[in-house]
Amino acid sequence: MDNSSKISRRDFMMLATLGVGGLGLLAGCVQQHPADSAALSEGDAGLVGAMADRIIPADAWPGGRENGVVTFIDMQLDGHYRRFRSEYRKGLDAVTETCLRRYLKRFEALSPEVQDSFLREMESGVLRDGEWKEGFSKRFFEMLRSHAMQAYYGSPRHGGNPNYASYKMMGIDYPPIIGQNRYGL
Amino acid sequence: MKKVPTFLRALTVVMILLVVACCGFYFYWNEASARSSCESCHEIENSSIMWARSGHRDLPCKECHGTALSSGLHSLQEKGMMFVHHFTGTGPRQITLNERQVLELTENCRRCHGAEYARWISGGHSATYAAIFLNDKHNAGEQLNADCLRCHGMFFGGAIEDLVTPVSTKGPWQLKVAGQSDLPAIPCLACHEVHREGSPAVRAGYDDPAKIFYYRRGSPSNVQWYDRYEKIHIRVEALPLLKPREGTRELKVSDDPRQQVCVQCHAPNAFHQAGTGDDRTPRGVHEGLSCLACHDGHSNDSRWSCVNCHPAISNCGLDVTKMNTTFAASGSPHNIHFVRCIDCHTKGIPPKHGSRLQRADGTHSK
Ligand code: HEC
Ligand code: HEC
Ligand code: HEC
Ligand code: HEC
Ligand code: HEC
Ligand code: HEC
Ligand code: HEC
Ligand code: HEC
Repeated sequence: MDNSSKISRRDFMMLATLGVGGLGLLAGCVQQHPADSAALSEGDAGLVGAMADRIIPADAWPGGRENGVVTFIDMQLDGHYRRFRSEYRKGLDAVTETCLRRYLKRFEALSPEVQDSFLREMESGVLRDGEWKEGFSKRFFEMLRSHAMQAYYGSPRHGGNPNYASYKMMGIDYPPIIGQNRYGL
Repeated sequence: MKKVPTFLRALTVVMILLVVACCGFYFYWNEASARSSCESCHEIENSSIMWARSGHRDLPCKECHGTALSSGLHSLQEKGMMFVHHFTGTGPRQITLNERQVLELTENCRRCHGAEYARWISGGHSATYAAIFLNDKHNAGEQLNADCLRCHGMFFGGAIEDLVTPVSTKGPWQLKVAGQSDLPAIPCLACHEVHREGSPAVRAGYDDPAKIFYYRRGSPSNVQWYDRYEKIHIRVEALPLLKPREGTRELKVSDDPRQQVCVQCHAPNAFHQAGTGDDRTPRGVHEGLSCLACHDGHSNDSRWSCVNCHPAISNCGLDVTKMNTTFAASGSPHNIHFVRCIDCHTKGIPPKHGSRLQRADGTHSK
């Protein structure tokens, strides 16, 4: 038998080890994929949460952050609302920059009263400098408020309102208890 | 001996390597911890996190989900597609299971929870698609519609039109999907979610047996309701409490949260009038009792429940199991859920003469 037509056991083991070892690399490559493909970074999430808590403050019922506004926005920016991603990016950066410039603090670190007055300025559109020009502050605020409301009052399927807290607040049973009709039965 | 062409030799090496690699990968994947295998797929991460907080956290994924090969070719193809979706980013953000997978899982539940499975099989809740959707009387009386799937067939992937034909009150009816007729319409996952908070049992402390009771902190119940419309499970504690009215009077109802899953299906009409639709909320002598005071959670059996309360409780001094109610005979006019004192004592409650019921110890029950 021609020896050159055979793979020696040692060659085989070497190649096999290489092959299987290579798979480890594949696994490594899988893991390098960011664990969370979500749209908001941790910092963004903190800021959105802080704003959500002023738009819908907690009382006897959960506030915006606790009732899933951040999760909703994060999830939607990765889905149907992908088109708003750049607006969010621009808006969130602008809030942080303006607050740092003005108060030497991030929005999240401001007292609730100052946060409210800042949000009111955004809402009224008096902010005009830098990124805020052309009424962007007003547009951004309105988008944020409307998304916060959708999160708070919508179905948990979309990421917000876990356990239907807002439905309970409004006295709506979910799921409604309705039996079959049993017409003629 | 004839010389084997080089390209064939190369091919053999490649083939062998491929097989070795695939096997290696397969075994690695099956034995590796979830963190370095399944979970590295971000679509699965949420499920993994919940698993790690669940009562099943000590069981590897494959105990329930099987391996890529154990659940057959379709699962291999599916898992393959997950890879494709994962890398192309075309998949859904959070994956859910289809009905086949739900039923395969049910078979796995059976491996470890044989007792619950056996009880479920023996009761009405293991009803098949054929039993529910091909019932001539029901189909002629009530037009088939999408809402039927809310309470049975909740994991069916299509619409009612994809399941039964014709969708009308005139038969003959038949199922459109081959192999569907014998599948269970209310599988384990109708009432149970696995990826949720829970804790594995822990050993009791033995130094002071009197303390064990106090260490059994009220844990949340094991029951969840699968909402077909939202494709989520809802904990029974978060389900609405049913308080049906008899005329204008609101019934007293048990605050056992577990029965809130029962009344999602065994429900009255939208006005919550007691006794309408499939409502069985106890009123009359048993007002305020939970369904589970009498019914087992899986077999639904209630045969041995009377002894929990009777004859310790007895107004009539009779053996309640022999009295004229639907417990003793299905033709009785006195439904065990609704019967009131005045249904039997139409002329008013008689005076007490002391018990006719001899207890085993020779004393009277009341
Ligand atoms: C609100 C939940 C609910 C809906 C909606 C519903 N069912 Fe049911 N179904 C039940 C319950 C609960 C029972 C058991 C009733 C009992 O035994 O008292 C049942 C029993 C049945 C049975 C067994 C025989 C019988 O009449 O009890 C059939 C068949 C059936 N349903 C078919 C249907 C079809 C077809 C539809 C749609 C037109 C439907 N159901 C809608 C909850 C529901
Ligand atoms: C119609 C609803 C329903 C279905 C379907 C159902 N279960 Fe349950 N299950 C319950 C209820 C209610 C309880 C709580 C019973 C109790 O506390 O006694 C429960 C409790 C359990 C428990 C916990 C038991 C314990 O002692 O803590 C297990 C395990 C379980 N079910 C497994 C299953 C399996 C396996 C299936 C499918 C074969 C299944 N269940 C189907 C309603 C259901
Ligand atoms: C005790 C059985 C069991 C174990 C162990 C288990 N699962 Fe599941 N898994 C289920 C069931 C049942 C469902 C259906 C949804 C539910 O009940 O949470 C499910 C659903 C899923 C889903 C679909 C998403 C969804 O919510 O429907 C994914 C992804 C998943 N499991 C991944 C995993 C991974 C990864 C592991 C191991 C870390 C694992 N599972 C371990 C039983 C199990
Ligand atoms: C490999 C065995 C195994 C499989 C498969 C399995 N279980 Fe379990 N299950 C257990 C064990 C063990 C416990 C007890 C955990 C403990 O308390 O330590 C348990 C506990 C439970 C409980 C009650 C405790 C709790 O908080 O969750 C429910 C309900 C349950 N299982 C449902 C299911 C369902 C539904 C399935 C199928 C999707 C399933 N199990 C599959 C082993 C298994
Ligand atoms: C997902 C819907 C659903 C839920 C939840 C549900 N049931 Fe049922 N139940 C049904 C249907 C459908 C039938 C009729 C099945 C048949 O055709 O026999 C039924 C039948 C029954 C029966 C009569 C048949 C038998 O097995 O004795 C009893 C008793 C019963 N259910 C009690 C309960 C109790 C108690 C609960 C709560 C732990 C409950 N059910 C939860 C749908 C449901
Ligand atoms: C006092 C004990 C008791 C309680 C509490 C009780 N049941 Fe029953 N149930 C029985 C007995 C006994 C039967 C069998 C005799 C009969 O059919 O009336 C039965 C039969 C049933 C049946 C099948 C026969 C029928 O009437 O359609 C259903 C469905 C049912 N129960 C549902 C429920 C539900 C849902 C609850 C809670 C809302 C409940 N039961 C509470 C004792 C009870
Ligand atoms: C969880 C406790 C409980 C269970 C279980 C229970 N009952 Fe009762 N039952 C009561 C109570 C309490 C009364 C008395 C109500 C009153 O005095 O107004 C009662 C009264 C009755 C009565 C009226 C006659 C009398 O002596 O008071 C009958 C008949 C009856 N039960 C039958 C049954 C049957 C049959 C079962 C088994 C399916 C059963 N009960 C299971 C609690 C229970
Ligand atoms: C299913 C029918 C039935 C129901 C429901 C029922 N009873 Fe009776 N009860 C009887 C029968 C039968 C007797 C024995 C014959 C008689 O004295 O009328 C009796 C006897 C009595 C007696 C006389 C006992 C004695 O010492 O002689 C009293 C008191 C009584 N019932 C009270 C009640 C009360 C209170 C309720 C409601 C909580 C009730 N019963 C529900 C059938 C019923």
